[in-house]
Amino acid sequence: MKFYYITFRSVTYAQRGESVLSARNIRCTLLRTPKWMEEQGCGYCLRLWTSDATPAVELLRQNRVPLRKIYAQRSDGQLEELTV
Amino acid sequence: MIYLDNGATSFHKPPRVYRAVEEAMYRCANPGRGGYRAALEASRQIYRCREAAGSLFSCLPEQVALTTSCTHGLNIAIRSIVKPGAKVVVSGFEHNAVTRPLRALGAKITVAGRKLFDWEDTLTEFYRALKNGVDGAVFTHVSNVFGYILPVEEMAAMCRSFGVPFIIDAAQSAGTLPVSMAALGADFVAMPGHKGLLGPQGTGLLLCKGEAVPLLYGGTGSASASQEMPDFLPDRLEAGTLNVPGYAGLTEGLRYILNTGTDKIFRREHAQLERCAEGLKKLGMKVFSGPHQAGTVSFLPGMDCEEAAEQLGSLGIAVRAGLHCAPFAHESAGTLETGTVRVSFGYDASDAQRLGLLQAVSKLTPFSS
Repeated sequence: MKFYYITFRSVTYAQRGESVLSARNIRCTLLRTPKWMEEQGCGYCLRLWTSDATPAVELLRQNRVPLRKIYAQRSDGQLEELTV
Repeated sequence: MIYLDNGATSFHKPPRVYRAVEEAMYRCANPGRGGYRAALEASRQIYRCREAAGSLFSCLPEQVALTTSCTHGLNIAIRSIVKPGAKVVVSGFEHNAVTRPLRALGAKITVAGRKLFDWEDTLTEFYRALKNGVDGAVFTHVSNVFGYILPVEEMAAMCRSFGVPFIIDAAQSAGTLPVSMAALGADFVAMPGHKGLLGPQGTGLLLCKGEAVPLLYGGTGSASASQEMPDFLPDRLEAGTLNVPGYAGLTEGLRYILNTGTDKIFRREHAQLERCAEGLKKLGMKVFSGPHQAGTVSFLPGMDCEEAAEQLGSLGIAVRAGLHCAPFAHESAGTLETGTVRVSFGYDASDAQRLGLLQAVSKLTPFSS
């Protein structure tokens, strides 16, 4: 199983994202954003299964939760940034 | 003690408020700063508070900035929309939490509508001031001295039609009357957490429509590489560690209100208010009562108001006398020289409280006699 990471500028946005996704039974985990993903430093992200990524991003956009970046795990395990 | 000083703070909270404060102290570290369990639990606790406030006041969680008091929120709001020397209209019933920050900015203040319980006067004078041209408006929802409920929906509509930014001071209405950010379209609504919202002291909420100017600068746990404050809410207004136990308690206060309903709370307070005003009149007191009144009433006891409150206190009745930090309101009512004795009911208003007060008032004796 591969993961997607969706980053947010504020823990509040990340939590609203978590709330929106949980309400639709999309499982996600709230984490600190790895330093290399966030050049401004200090942020939070949601980690979710790749299979949930498309509906999750759609839901977040529908609910106007401001996303910052999206990272997808490649088959070799490395993460790559996708265009938001 | 019969506690009738809810205008100052709600002294008796629902039991779960106390429990939530204690539990948060055991379970929560610093919110928005770490990724371990206790830090995330703190973040979740803070988010639950924003979420509950958003439900009660019809706004998004990130539009709820956590403050230390209503005064703190009003200072942020006023500095966000009022430039030094700007022209600002206020109602005739404002608290010093509004007028002192305006004075500190050198604002040119127009006081509009000074007749108690008179919506026509309030709206006519407010409209006149807007028409004459102002840069901003700040008005209270409910007078903290007299319980006068101002027609804020109409005042908000006027501001919107004139394109004037405005702030509502909901210190005495939040938790008792409906307050909807979505319906009012206010730039800011400020409120304390410890009065009608039944949370602990040291908590407050500032509902923000959009842009806001920070009052405090410092760490927010976000965008840390930048030396500028974040340009997004609520982080922009929340430098420093938040009072997590306080907001845990406030969350439970908000949930109590969401479960009970402001209509029910208002009816309970207002029923006692009306009967209390009648009872005080029968005892020969000069009572300030009328239409559009919340659960607060002021009266003149026929003696020094501080002496009266002192005697009532010794009889186990907690009320507040004096000017209540609101000289504008007393000036409007003609009580600036004397002050008043204020009785303010809370969510637990009861016949026993009212009857106990009236019995004690009937025993008042001027010190000089």
